[in-house]
Amino acid sequence: MNSIPASADCLDVADLLVDYTEGTLSPEQTSRVTAHMAHCLRCQQHVAHTCELADIMAAIRIVPPPAALDAALLAALAQETDQLKQPAGAGSEAIVVPLNPTSVHPTSSGWWLRIAASLLLLAAGMVLGNHWRPLSSATVALSTPDAQAAPRFQALVGNLTAPTLSASQRLLLVSELAAEAQTSGDPVVQALINTLNFDPNPNVRLAAGKGLYRLRADPRVAEAFVQSLTIQTDPYVQILLIELLVEMREQRAKPELERLSRRPDALPVVRQEAKAGLGQLI
Amino acid sequence: MAAVHANDLAQVVLLFERYKSPLFNFLYRLSNDYETSQDLTQTVFERLLKYRASYQLGQPFKAWIYHLARNVYTHYWHLGQKMRTTDVLEEERQGGLGSAAFTQMATLECEQALQEAMALLAPPEREILVLHRFQGFSYEEIAAMLGCTAGAAKVKAHRALKALRTIYFSEQP
Repeated sequence: MNSIPASADCLDVADLLVDYTEGTLSPEQTSRVTAHMAHCLRCQQHVAHTCELADIMAAIRIVPPPAALDAALLAALAQETDQLKQPAGAGSEAIVVPLNPTSVHPTSSGWWLRIAASLLLLAAGMVLGNHWRPLSSATVALSTPDAQAAPRFQALVGNLTAPTLSASQRLLLVSELAAEAQTSGDPVVQALINTLNFDPNPNVRLAAGKGLYRLRADPRVAEAFVQSLTIQTDPYVQILLIELLVEMREQRAKPELERLSRRPDALPVVRQEAKAGLGQLI
Repeated sequence: MAAVHANDLAQVVLLFERYKSPLFNFLYRLSNDYETSQDLTQTVFERLLKYRASYQLGQPFKAWIYHLARNVYTHYWHLGQKMRTTDVLEEERQGGLGSAAFTQMATLECEQALQEAMALLAPPEREILVLHRFQGFSYEEIAAMLGCTAGAAKVKAHRALKALRTIYFSEQP
């Protein structure tokens, strides 16, 4: 069959054969192909082969990816997450700096670009910091030392579900308030707890959580973390709270960790973190 | 992806869950090597993390991640070309082992034969068939990836199928 010679007619319909097998030709073209095939074994064979090949291709297995791939990706994700967290430790405002390093190309000099990008991020953080500081110190100067934080409280706590300040402004405020608060009985603690529980932006909630951790001498902090863990839905905030609670060796967190490690709607990483945390607390 | 772009990395897990199997299979059908596909899939997601800032909001995510995957594969393929002799030997060895292991099962045998025939296609032909036949991309989507018209994508796909048919059934051209 392989040596059947091609005729001029064959060339005429050759480009139509695949469409013919898929039934996407116009009625006129279809009848042209059918008429040709009636007397051409070669094209009959080609159509049969095309159909067979299409069937084999349609039946091709979906190969399950190896489990090692999951582990490798989670590891890469954790590493990237750590890199994100590091500049955030120096000043949480760095998280939301609108940086778009469009100059980053997939080249072999990726490392240098990465370093350059992080320097840029730090620099942008410093510039933003300097830019905002005069504004907040002006606010402070207006008020008496006792009620120092009050206007800023109002700005932060005023309307938690529909805040008037932008997320980055709230973020800045949260980290400043947390850094300034010294004593454990400070009213800032309650403001930060409210922010942690109700701010619409997860980055602001994260900053509030980190700020509260610095004020962990206050007994309200541990209790707030335990309670907050039950209502947080953002995996990032969940993971941070688990980490902090484990760090503080807070036994009251156990029931919630237990629950979280089995919650079907929690992300696998969160469940894993909760499980690991439980292991450390016991 | 918008959340990932804004540094909410936990969302990557969702993307990973959704795309790991399609991408792994895409790279597996291109490279015909299980371990290589694992490495390449991992590289794709690493690049996603690394270059998330270059993702433009509103751009279809699927197109973007396949763009990354295609680049990763092309890079790998060029590396392979540089070490061609060892590469060919490796493929021959695996082809032999693969055929011997799968002789009992007819469907797997077809699949193996198909993989071997596809390995003989030119890389762009192989790619367009994998995209269209295995990954279910439309000609329009493929056209957007290749930077051509849908009509041109269709012609390329048909030519590739014809080339594959010639190899698979040892037809006279």
